[in-house]
Amino acid sequence: MLMKYLFAKNDEIPAGSATIFFGFSSIFWFVVGTGLGSFNAAKLAFPDWVTGTELFAFGHMRQVHVLAVILGWISMAFGMTMMYMTPALGNTKLWSEKLGLWTVFMWNVGLSLGLILLWMGITAGREYSDLIWPIDLVVIFGVLLPLGINVWMTIAHRRTQGIYITNWFFGACIFMLMIVFLVGNSPELFNLTGLTEAYLTFWFAHNVLGLWITPVAAAIAYYTIPKLTGNPLYSHRIGHLHFWAIIAFYSTPASHHLMSAPLPEWLKSFASVEGVLILIPAVAFVANILLTMKGKWSMFVENIETKFSITGVLLAIPLNMQGGFQQTRAINWYVHGTGWIVAHAHLALLGMSSFLEAAAVYFGLQSVLRRKLYSLTLANLHYWFFIIGFCIYWISMTIAGLIQGAGKIYEVPYIDVVVAEHPYMIARWAGGTMVFTGNVIWLYNMWMTAREGTIVPAGRYAHELAYER
Amino acid sequence: MAWKFDQPLYCLSDEQEQKETLELWEKEKHGGLWTANNRLPLPLTYLIALIILTAFLVTMPIWGQRPNAAIYEGIVANMDSAEVQRLATGEEKINFLFQQAMATADSRLKGDLERHPLAWDDLLNIAPGIKELQAGGGKYPLDNYNVLGDRISLANFEGNFVEGGFRERKQPWFDKGMGIDMFYVAYFVIVMVLLIKKLPHYSRKPAMNKS
Repeated sequence: MLMKYLFAKNDEIPAGSATIFFGFSSIFWFVVGTGLGSFNAAKLAFPDWVTGTELFAFGHMRQVHVLAVILGWISMAFGMTMMYMTPALGNTKLWSEKLGLWTVFMWNVGLSLGLILLWMGITAGREYSDLIWPIDLVVIFGVLLPLGINVWMTIAHRRTQGIYITNWFFGACIFMLMIVFLVGNSPELFNLTGLTEAYLTFWFAHNVLGLWITPVAAAIAYYTIPKLTGNPLYSHRIGHLHFWAIIAFYSTPASHHLMSAPLPEWLKSFASVEGVLILIPAVAFVANILLTMKGKWSMFVENIETKFSITGVLLAIPLNMQGGFQQTRAINWYVHGTGWIVAHAHLALLGMSSFLEAAAVYFGLQSVLRRKLYSLTLANLHYWFFIIGFCIYWISMTIAGLIQGAGKIYEVPYIDVVVAEHPYMIARWAGGTMVFTGNVIWLYNMWMTAREGTIVPAGRYAHELAYER
Repeated sequence: MAWKFDQPLYCLSDEQEQKETLELWEKEKHGGLWTANNRLPLPLTYLIALIILTAFLVTMPIWGQRPNAAIYEGIVANMDSAEVQRLATGEEKINFLFQQAMATADSRLKGDLERHPLAWDDLLNIAPGIKELQAGGGKYPLDNYNVLGDRISLANFEGNFVEGGFRERKQPWFDKGMGIDMFYVAYFVIVMVLLIKKLPHYSRKPAMNKS
């Protein structure tokens, strides 16, 4: 069906097609990404699991997992939300449904190619910016630029005078991500080496998180929570504070990832202060959303989309408390290079961000398909597998990180540290596998929703009918 | 701009501008959504001020820095003394040396030694480097060097130019990265106040039943 629409006239493509293809692609990549995560975690928990084949070595598989989740699940879920929220917030339709479909097509092809190359060991060799430069160019010009054009043109053709806060983030973040990809991959494009390469690698890694994943996830909540609860967003002015604090304080602290590197100390001091100031947009965001919930807290229990959304918002609190302080010199010397950081990264990507996106994908697919969720029980099962699995993962890796930190500082023999953290590696695998299982259930539930979900009558929202039979 | 002398932070828009903004908010819904005009709750405003203060305090250069090689100068000087050599184990030797150094140290050196303890084996590794620098074997004075594991390394600071055209490499009490931060944060706060105060005053709530 996608191939048919790719070559159809724009007016002949049903509205919402790009949203649907983006939505299902994102869930598919979430299943793939967490499946790979579970496989990799098994290799750490059970060292004899699948050995002897280079392709399945941890060094080959790890970055495939990371990029499948970041560029497959998270970024395609963002693409999906942009395809339906941007026009809805401008009281208009998507500028080009056809461009949206081409974007999702190019995204899937480019990502598949990039991940296969990574799997084969063809890599740029830098954490997070592992993709080789031709694939980087596909991402920038084949994916982000078309996505950006569609979002910017939809905003330009809006039928409102003002622009809602979610669309500020969408428009700005796509632009910033393109800059991040171009500059962050410059070590490979221009053969930069040494400290410059190290700095730019973590400039890229930091800004993909700070100018794409967390702000766009937050922007999604600015739509879903007022939409689901029917309440107005608590404060326009706090929205300004959040947006500009992200621009000012999230774009600057990249060198706090390299506190032990021989970068100039003044640059690290500058970055470290900015790193703590990341708490300002976090406070603004969390306050704005939680205060929007006033009088509707029962929905946190009763409504599946609100449950996912608010869980994501609540996870933003420990995320930013950790992120703000773990990068200071006083704490970083202990936790740097340990499982603590792995736990923190998962708190950002699998915790705060993924819960917010899952809510938006649930809501968006039901709204665009005009179908009620196939099974609320399966959705709840998904939620509980997800949150329990995530907590097991996060807590076990945090403990493992503290053990590793102690081992590092007190010069405990490495093999003793490996033995000490082994139970936590098994817990990590169990937690990750629970998340993966939940996602398989989700994919099935959404597939069945598209095929057999009850049709939502005009004038009603799917989530309003969740408890009606 | 409608700045009021007696209420400088009330609102920077005049009556007409505020009315137009509120009418726009009342008139248009964004896909069924609208925003209220509430202020950031006062405790959270104080929290943000506290965050800014904390950001500077927890990143002061005294925390988490590498040890300066000069703090071990006295320990290295005494490590070959007869009373140290009389002791049987490395642990006894290093404990004795630290107690000796602490007894004569000023409060700053005391704090540095407490934060950066050494094992006897570590001391054996770094002592030759420190002695060489004390003897004038380095380009810079000893206090321009840090101890990195078992190595002595030129500190990564860029201070003022000193005699001979070199830059001082000593850890400053307040480095220029934090100076840049002070300006950066100040500009941010000024711009945010101007931006937010241009909006209608928070006491004026849009009536959303009009649309």
